[in-house]
Amino acid sequence: MRIEKRLGASLLAIGMVATLAACGRDDDDTGDGGDGSIAPQASEVDTSAASGEIDVWAMGAEGEALGAFAESFMEEYPDVTVNVTPVPWDAAHDRIVSAIAGGEVPDVTMVGTTWMGEFASLGGLDPTPANIDGSQFFEGAWNTTVVDGTSYAVPWYVETRLLYYRTDLAEDAEAPATWDDLKAMAAAMQEAGAEYGISLQPGGTGSWQTWMPFFWQAGGEIMGEDGTFTLDGEPCVEALNFYDAFFEEGLTPPAAEDVPVEGRFANGEIAAFISGPWMMSIVEDAGADPAAYAVAHQPTEEAGTSFVGGSNMAVLADADNKAAGWAFLEYLSRPDVQAAWYEEVSALPAVQAAWDEDALSGDEKLSAFGDQLSDAKAPPAIATWEQIAAEIDGIIEQVTVGDMTPEEGCPAMQEAASSIGTGQ
Amino acid sequence: MTAQSRTVGAGQPAPTAPRSHWREHLIAWSFALPYVLLFLVFMAGPILVALFTSFTDMRVTDIRNPLDIEIIGLENYAAVLTDARFQKAAANTAVFVLIGVPLTIVLGLAAAVGLNQGVVKFRTLFRVGFYLPVVTSIVAIAVVWRLLLGTEVGLVNAVLSTFGIDGPGWLNDERYALWSIIGVAAWRNLGFMMVIFLAGLQTIPKDLYEAAEVDGANAWQRFKGITLPLLRPTLLFAFVITGIGYVQFFEEPYVMTEGGPLNSTLSMALYTYNQFGFGNYGYTAAAAFVLFVAIATLTLVQFRLLRDET
Repeated sequence: MRIEKRLGASLLAIGMVATLAACGRDDDDTGDGGDGSIAPQASEVDTSAASGEIDVWAMGAEGEALGAFAESFMEEYPDVTVNVTPVPWDAAHDRIVSAIAGGEVPDVTMVGTTWMGEFASLGGLDPTPANIDGSQFFEGAWNTTVVDGTSYAVPWYVETRLLYYRTDLAEDAEAPATWDDLKAMAAAMQEAGAEYGISLQPGGTGSWQTWMPFFWQAGGEIMGEDGTFTLDGEPCVEALNFYDAFFEEGLTPPAAEDVPVEGRFANGEIAAFISGPWMMSIVEDAGADPAAYAVAHQPTEEAGTSFVGGSNMAVLADADNKAAGWAFLEYLSRPDVQAAWYEEVSALPAVQAAWDEDALSGDEKLSAFGDQLSDAKAPPAIATWEQIAAEIDGIIEQVTVGDMTPEEGCPAMQEAASSIGTGQ
Repeated sequence: MTAQSRTVGAGQPAPTAPRSHWREHLIAWSFALPYVLLFLVFMAGPILVALFTSFTDMRVTDIRNPLDIEIIGLENYAAVLTDARFQKAAANTAVFVLIGVPLTIVLGLAAAVGLNQGVVKFRTLFRVGFYLPVVTSIVAIAVVWRLLLGTEVGLVNAVLSTFGIDGPGWLNDERYALWSIIGVAAWRNLGFMMVIFLAGLQTIPKDLYEAAEVDGANAWQRFKGITLPLLRPTLLFAFVITGIGYVQFFEEPYVMTEGGPLNSTLSMALYTYNQFGFGNYGYTAAAAFVLFVAIATLTLVQFRLLRDET
């Protein structure tokens, strides 16, 4: 019985994909995947005459709020009806892949930034038309839409990782400027009564997002200009050594904790951690006094780069109503709309000008995120990134918890990434 | 209906047989057709496609252009078998099966023998208590145990600390994680074994025990000389069913540890699932068939070892 259930399930899944694949064969405009095109954006799409219905898929809190938010767009374009389908994050990736494979797609979908490479390689996304000005977005965010030199989406909202720290424990309460400052600060705060000076992820899913900024700060790049991986090298060894030192010196919990960090941060047991903007409301809900902590720019070595994530909005290649789809995305990219959307769901605007709106410019902590966003990078938009990221997560864990040295870890990352390849 | 037509068919004289046989076949097949069709479309078809896929380099990016894929022979199988992480997963799975299966069966047998002989009061209560985890969703159980086994706030460590013992990281220390999961799996499945063994014990004639008692055999000798040999078919069933289930253990690490720490709880099924998520369909299909061969081999070995020796 269990044999049927489990083995059956994996085989069925593969079979289903293969069956879906069979449907794709009939399509005459199969994936033009962006190869060979030099222009970063496609020619203009006439959005003035947009009409008809558009189906939009959106995930998480955004998916639930977007339906009502789209009313104002429909006032401006009375001939267009927007139907929003909320999709749970867990199911979204597979659902979009199946939709692209079967050709039965929504007109517009939200796309996690790390999925861009995969969906664009599938030939599932429509290139961004020239009506959308790429320079209005944060550069790091815009780059997440670019696959093989062509943009396939519009950045919708962004997030980046900052250092959260307890100002009441940090002696001079100043943001650490360099790596040495950061480590000295963690040690000092531990001295001042915190159980751990900082909490860094020892490994496990997503730990690369905490570690990769250090790699970038040391001058590293994930991929070279020629499209080969450049993970191994001095920046990687430096960054892994720096990261591992917190574990070696007992400045961070030695293993993943089952108590959420916000509670430990709120009561002062953990003095600092690195995370995204959503943690502000979480630590305050957990009881942290907004005056007793600050968020700070990443420390600077060769650079002060952080990680940029978030979500893009894309029009699908097989969409029935591309014109109205792009009109909707052009609307969502306007600074005032982005600021209004921030007030709706607290998602940080991807458009730089939106940060001058009152809703955002008044808040000191928010401004810190705005500052960091102009120096933030995303991993390369390649189809295999999730798998490479899982390998990097594993190696970070081998170094922090296991007995691998950073000098062994970096070649291991390079080898894993090279053997996985870019999926092209 | 079937029985009737079979007797009629068998009783037909030879000369007219072909025609009515044909008719009977038609009726029989039309009855079987819905199942056969469903099986072919939803099981056999996909399994054959997956077998074919396992010899190709198909990835998620090929699904719009499935004609682009190339047949690469046994390359995927070679890659699966030489991957250090898969080897780790296979070793974890072997430990899980070799320790977990006997443990579950011994616990189940102990519970069954205990309930069959000793415990008279509250017998139903115990039966329900042992069986309840079997009918509870495994994901719910894994979530609850993840909380119970938590290092800092888990109930297990809280109880230990009242005795002055500083409990280990049951799930986040690579030395304990797999053993914790084996324990949870044994606890969950022993109820099912108990029910099977209780049924098996009912079939053993009471007078055998009486005769042995008259001959002066003690409880252990009676268990060894009567209960175990007569339970042999039941034991075979228990080993095969538990073995097949345990080789594919998936939900426990998926929910409790995600295969970590340091891949110490990564199972073959979880490894395969992860590869599917990465979009390596050809590779995933190969890993799934390796798992299938492992299950088939294990089952064959068990049948051989526990074959009725009379």
